[in-house]
Amino acid sequence: MNSTVMKKTMYFFAIPALVFYLIFWIFPILRLFQYSITDYNGFSQAYNYIGLDNYKALFNGDTLGISVKNTLIYTLVTVVLGNIIGLALALLLNMKIRGKGIYRSLAYIPTLFSAIVVGFIWSYVYMPDYGMISSFLDKFGINDDNLNFLGSYSSALYAIIFVEIWKNIGTTMIIFLAGLQTVPNDLLEAGKMDGCGPWRLLKHVKLPLLATAITINVTLSLINGLKAFDFPFIMTNGGPGTSTNTLIYSIYKMAFTEQLFGKASALGVISFALIIVLTAAFVIRMNKREVSA
Amino acid sequence: MTIGSLTKKTLVQLSVIIVMAVNLIPLIIALSTSLRDPNNNANPLQLFSEISFASYRTAFERMHFPQALMNSIILTGISVIVVVLLAAMAAYPMARLQSKWSKFLYLFFLSGLVVPSQMVLIPIVQMINSLHIPTSQYTPILMFITCSLPFSTFLYTGFIRSGVPEEVEEAAHIDGAGLFRRFWLVVFPLLLPVTVSVIITQGVWIWNDYFFNMIFISRAAESPLPLAMLGFLGDQQNPTQWNVLFAACFLCALPLLVAFLFLQKYFVGGMTVGAVKG
Amino acid sequence: MKSVKTMGLAILVFCFVLLSACGSNNGASNATNTPAATDSANDSGNKEEEAASSEPITLTMMLSGNKASEGEDFELETLPRLVKEKFPNITLEVQKLPDDQYNTSVRTKLAAGQGPDIFLVFPKNAAGGVIDFAKAGFTADLSDLTFWDNIGTGAKDDMSYEGKPYAVAKGLDYLGVYYNKEMLEQVGVTEFPKDWASFLEACQKLKDAGITPIVLGDKDPWVIQFGMYPIAANVVYPDEMDFDVKVQNGEKSLNDPKWVKTISMYKELYDKGYVVKNSLGVGSAQASQLFIDGKAAMTFTGTWDYASMTSKGAAEFTRGFDSLPGNEAGKPTFVSAATAAGYGINAKSNNLDAAKEILNYLFDGESDLFKAFVAANSSISVYKDVPLINELFKTVNDNYQTNGNSVYFSNQMWPAGVSDVMQSKFAEIIGGQKATPEDVAKAMDEKFQELWKNK
Repeated sequence: MNSTVMKKTMYFFAIPALVFYLIFWIFPILRLFQYSITDYNGFSQAYNYIGLDNYKALFNGDTLGISVKNTLIYTLVTVVLGNIIGLALALLLNMKIRGKGIYRSLAYIPTLFSAIVVGFIWSYVYMPDYGMISSFLDKFGINDDNLNFLGSYSSALYAIIFVEIWKNIGTTMIIFLAGLQTVPNDLLEAGKMDGCGPWRLLKHVKLPLLATAITINVTLSLINGLKAFDFPFIMTNGGPGTSTNTLIYSIYKMAFTEQLFGKASALGVISFALIIVLTAAFVIRMNKREVSA
Repeated sequence: MTIGSLTKKTLVQLSVIIVMAVNLIPLIIALSTSLRDPNNNANPLQLFSEISFASYRTAFERMHFPQALMNSIILTGISVIVVVLLAAMAAYPMARLQSKWSKFLYLFFLSGLVVPSQMVLIPIVQMINSLHIPTSQYTPILMFITCSLPFSTFLYTGFIRSGVPEEVEEAAHIDGAGLFRRFWLVVFPLLLPVTVSVIITQGVWIWNDYFFNMIFISRAAESPLPLAMLGFLGDQQNPTQWNVLFAACFLCALPLLVAFLFLQKYFVGGMTVGAVKG
Repeated sequence: MKSVKTMGLAILVFCFVLLSACGSNNGASNATNTPAATDSANDSGNKEEEAASSEPITLTMMLSGNKASEGEDFELETLPRLVKEKFPNITLEVQKLPDDQYNTSVRTKLAAGQGPDIFLVFPKNAAGGVIDFAKAGFTADLSDLTFWDNIGTGAKDDMSYEGKPYAVAKGLDYLGVYYNKEMLEQVGVTEFPKDWASFLEACQKLKDAGITPIVLGDKDPWVIQFGMYPIAANVVYPDEMDFDVKVQNGEKSLNDPKWVKTISMYKELYDKGYVVKNSLGVGSAQASQLFIDGKAAMTFTGTWDYASMTSKGAAEFTRGFDSLPGNEAGKPTFVSAATAAGYGINAKSNNLDAAKEILNYLFDGESDLFKAFVAANSSISVYKDVPLINELFKTVNDNYQTNGNSVYFSNQMWPAGVSDVMQSKFAEIIGGQKATPEDVAKAMDEKFQELWKNK
């Protein structure tokens, strides 16, 4: 395309968006770097520069380790499980079955609910003794006295991860479904002719062609997982103890309850680096695969 | 058709139904509970044993539903319109020009996706304050727009690159159309599929967001639905209040559910346009 | 290419302008805003009569808590209505948010200089406490309100900073035990235990009779404070009322044998199975429900929960309220009592005088508004000559009034955040993790040291 048609003045089109983006997103983020070396408390005007003390305190304390660990578990499980279930659901709904249109719509419904509403509903599902799961088990005469999803150290994190997966499964599935539409039928037929079973068909024909959809789904759930905040905030208050403290929840607590905004900013900078590195590493890897596939 | 393929079919059908059931049971029980009288605390597993709208009436009044609905519509409507305009414009050069600048811009916008808003809240509020923007019902819109830009420009750029041939523009260029007219009259109308996708993806999160609303809105009369929902937080886990609480939950989701019912083809289709080609 | 360069340059310049603008604003805004605010306050002060009668103004008010689920909510409905009747030109817009959200929202708004005109302030050092707010210049000096003579001095002092009051407390709160009289009588406990040993004994009797002695909603971590502070009131403070002052000065630390003992005593209730199993999965609202449904004999909370603790549940029974006796036999029980949260006024409010008018009206001691306030408020009144309204609190109130043996809630002397560590560490004990009372005390001390130097 010649440059008389695609002129550089086109860049002016980006200015309005850029203005919003710089003022309300990029500059505030840069301020975070500044605050991370101060003892700012988040509301009074006076603060001092204290060098790298915040970072030192973070690396010496428990919070960083606990929240990074929780966040990584959260992310890993949502990415892996969320995508496998989403893909399985998409494959099922891509078959010739009656009423698949309705099923597709139904599967998408949880996505429409606000995190608060989802949090409320699932708190009920998980509630000991009177909640949905307990009532079910009671009905079948199964002893559920020790069932305590959100209140036990070993299960609380996984219980909220499950809610996260449940809420996002619709989106994941839809993107996979769209990817499956791009798999040409004659290619599948050719595969069948060559005697490929369903598994080999999936592995050698469908999955490679789904590469874009996989990249998008995994990237989105990766970012979502690393940014996890809503469900610890609404359902568990980070508890019991610190067992569901994710990075962002810890930052929030530090900034607003402990009023250590400087330290919270330092933790923010660290999480920011972590998220960028993990996401970038993944995206670069996937892009390479996609090209070679 | 052989017997084997028939049983296989039933098996598939069955597994779909099971997955769907697991997926929707929490919602169905919540729905059935919400349709009870506020004082009916019978076992929630007895589905739809009573159909009463008394809980809905209570929830409707407690959250000032008509007003909250109106506020939600205003907030989401304005934000989404501005996002569409800004993001489509910003994506144009990123998709069409091949320079380092264009590539940088693309990544620059995209990288915004990874920053959680809870983290930058205080600096944002300070920025808004130092620009002397008054906090009002409309302040959250600024943030909704900003936070929607990364993903929206990503969708638009992908779509323009792969879905809008440069030849259409060339024709308009030869007819003597300027850049501005060319974009709005030729390119923008062709972006309809991805615009639907942007409206839906961004509309849903903006509609459901409580965080920015909680920070900027200080009058009950200006609260959109999710903020009105927060008032029920204390009722959570309180068995006697569940019927009303769940009624409130469904009232909050109702407008989106209705929109979904009528526009589901766009929801399901729209999500995918940008995504798969991106 | 040239245009791109100029544009890049333009953006760069724009960025620097912005950066420097918000950088300098940070320091300057305080200096410029405050005098301006006081100027306008003086102005409107002179024309107070005019302002109060003519110009329509809207005041915003932000509070924490939930809307009453039945009847008219005092703050959300009654207050704005009666204010409108008295001052037709004043519209009061009230918003209530759950505690956590309230704290985030109000602080962010204040930091941005756009806080509500009237908002809830907590006593002393607690999270959202008066000392932080006053020090940062967010709350207005309320010395010139007309009714201070009618407010108890303790309540006034707890809301003061450097000798000046910055908020009006709604009352006084006791922490204690709500109990089911019939259940206790059923196992032969006719009088509420007066010391720790007999309290444990009563719990054991209940447990042996197959009754859950205590229900607590530990899923909401703050509930842990409800048992901890009353025990501390009887263990840490009786012979050392200035313990926390010493901690602040560095003469003592929270990692003190007395705190370890307090935590161990509380732990005992869990170890012996007196607290409902799975308490970490039970929310506070659910715990109240279990209590009023007659599923447990006792629960720990404060006077502010009067409405929910006395509302009708599945079981009919007589409620009792008494202090959690953390004391040894033969020693007096100290009441865990503290000034309740109260109303503060934004120092930068444009309607400072109107806001003060409203408080003067609210606390005038005779109007319908005042009466409605008294009726709706379950805290013990600190207003002169207002009798105790809820008979339920009589035992504790008598002890408090006659003997004066009382200790504030410990977290009011700690920087916000220490109590959170106490809760999350203690939750590890409840949840069967490896933590010991020593670990809890140590973690509290470390957090205190970290946060206090920032004060």
